[in-house]
Amino acid sequence: MRDMEGKILENVEIIEDHFILTAEVKGRIGDVTPGQFLMVRIDGINVFLRRPFTIYDVDGRTFSIMYKVRGHGTRILSQVKKGQKMYFLGPLGNGFSLKERDLYVVVAGGIGIAGVNLLVKRIGKRVKLFYGTSSSNGVSLLRDLLSYDPIISTMDGSSGYKGDVVSCLSDSFQNFTGMDIEIMACGPNEMYRSLRKALSKFSFPCQVLYEEKMACGMGLCFGCVVETKDNTDPLKRVCFDGPVFSLWDLCL
Amino acid sequence: MGSMFIELFGKRLRNPVMNASGTLGYGKEIERLWKISLLGAFVTKGLSIEPYRGNPQPRICELGYGLLNRVGLQNIGIKRFLAEYIEFFEKRKTPIIINIFGFTEEEYIECAKAIGNHSIVLAIEINLSCPNIKEGGILFGKDPEAIRRIIKGTKSVTNIPLICKLSQEVTDIIEIARCAYEAGADGLTLINTIPGATFDRGRFIRGGVSGPFLKSFALKAIHDCANSVPIPIIGVGGIMNVEDAMSFLLAGAKAIQVGTATFLDPNAIPKIIKGLRKKMKRS
Repeated sequence: MRDMEGKILENVEIIEDHFILTAEVKGRIGDVTPGQFLMVRIDGINVFLRRPFTIYDVDGRTFSIMYKVRGHGTRILSQVKKGQKMYFLGPLGNGFSLKERDLYVVVAGGIGIAGVNLLVKRIGKRVKLFYGTSSSNGVSLLRDLLSYDPIISTMDGSSGYKGDVVSCLSDSFQNFTGMDIEIMACGPNEMYRSLRKALSKFSFPCQVLYEEKMACGMGLCFGCVVETKDNTDPLKRVCFDGPVFSLWDLCL
Repeated sequence: MGSMFIELFGKRLRNPVMNASGTLGYGKEIERLWKISLLGAFVTKGLSIEPYRGNPQPRICELGYGLLNRVGLQNIGIKRFLAEYIEFFEKRKTPIIINIFGFTEEEYIECAKAIGNHSIVLAIEINLSCPNIKEGGILFGKDPEAIRRIIKGTKSVTNIPLICKLSQEVTDIIEIARCAYEAGADGLTLINTIPGATFDRGRFIRGGVSGPFLKSFALKAIHDCANSVPIPIIGVGGIMNVEDAMSFLLAGAKAIQVGTATFLDPNAIPKIIKGLRKKMKRS
């Protein structure tokens, strides 16, 4: 882990307010576990802190992040031009841990796809991807994962299953009986809560990538804590102890 | 060649650079980037007699020009800190300053008592920016009588040098500094974050504000107090680079602490130490 200087190769808008920024760094990036993130320094007026983004993809000295414009910082980030120099601290945090499962069921909602893109690619054949978004427009975010035959759900029914991704997943549970499966998820807290409810009858292990605002990204400030069921230290630092946690450990 | 060494409370520090309390975790986390032994001294997170949860989310607000935090002093408690971390600093021969806080005067004294004797402990830094729950929540740092009692009480249970960390949000910081000195404080840390507020997604949030804009307030407080009390002052507030560090030393600080700068650049502290070394060589 280090503060890497990188040159922007591209920063393209995929659908409205959703971008992929690709950069090439000087020196090695090092090994990246899917789910790990970078603290990105955004130089601009009225941006003070770095912003955390999951590593969307990595290849040698090149990596990318996918992000949604949600506030001032990401707005400035979306205006970054090719050739610009930026600083990226990382790779940070504990990503998804992979064992030898029969099947990994990956569940992503909305921009949460940014958190599992690399994971799906790393798992390869033994993966079933469920993706939920508001309408067919959002399906474009799956651009790098179409070859994995994702099961799509949209809230308005304009593409695939009509409804939320967890309901869509619940309808498929009977297909997994008797298999050694694990669920990996990235999405809003609301999605995690309904996932926990839907999974409560089953004993599937489930890892989720948790999001919280951060100042330092490396365990120094205790700004990003989340409450867990750990008796000794219930408040875990998302940046340092996470951002991937067992769904069953979190108090959501 | 100019030397970076300073003497503080009778001990030699390899340089005058420390971290600000609460901005470098428990000390181990940063070792993924640089060695903690680079520091003149390590300042702990604020520690209380019992473990403390701190505040619920949100804890961090981006202000554009600085950071508003309401972490709320979450910590593992002084006893667990001593049991789990003292050895780490002893092995690295890095002196530590233990920052303590309480919600009653007795809690401060209990904390100081719990520290016991460890040669690696350079000083105790008392955080006075806590509400006194027995006195209607007035901040200890605004109440000269409470400051006096806390200092006298802590001095009666420990021989470790005592530093008072003062907030500049008082009517007259010189008066508070004099009061701390007269009660027996061995040093002062100036200044703490400044209480402020912002709207975060429509919610009104209060917290401590930090960032480079603190510099002018800190410099004034340091200069005022350095000319008023004969005890060493540790300067903190908005130091981002070596030029800032130099200006704090020139204004009268014996040592400096770097806080929020580490969040923007986790190598800010080593860069400042390197920069100071260069300047000392030239002089």
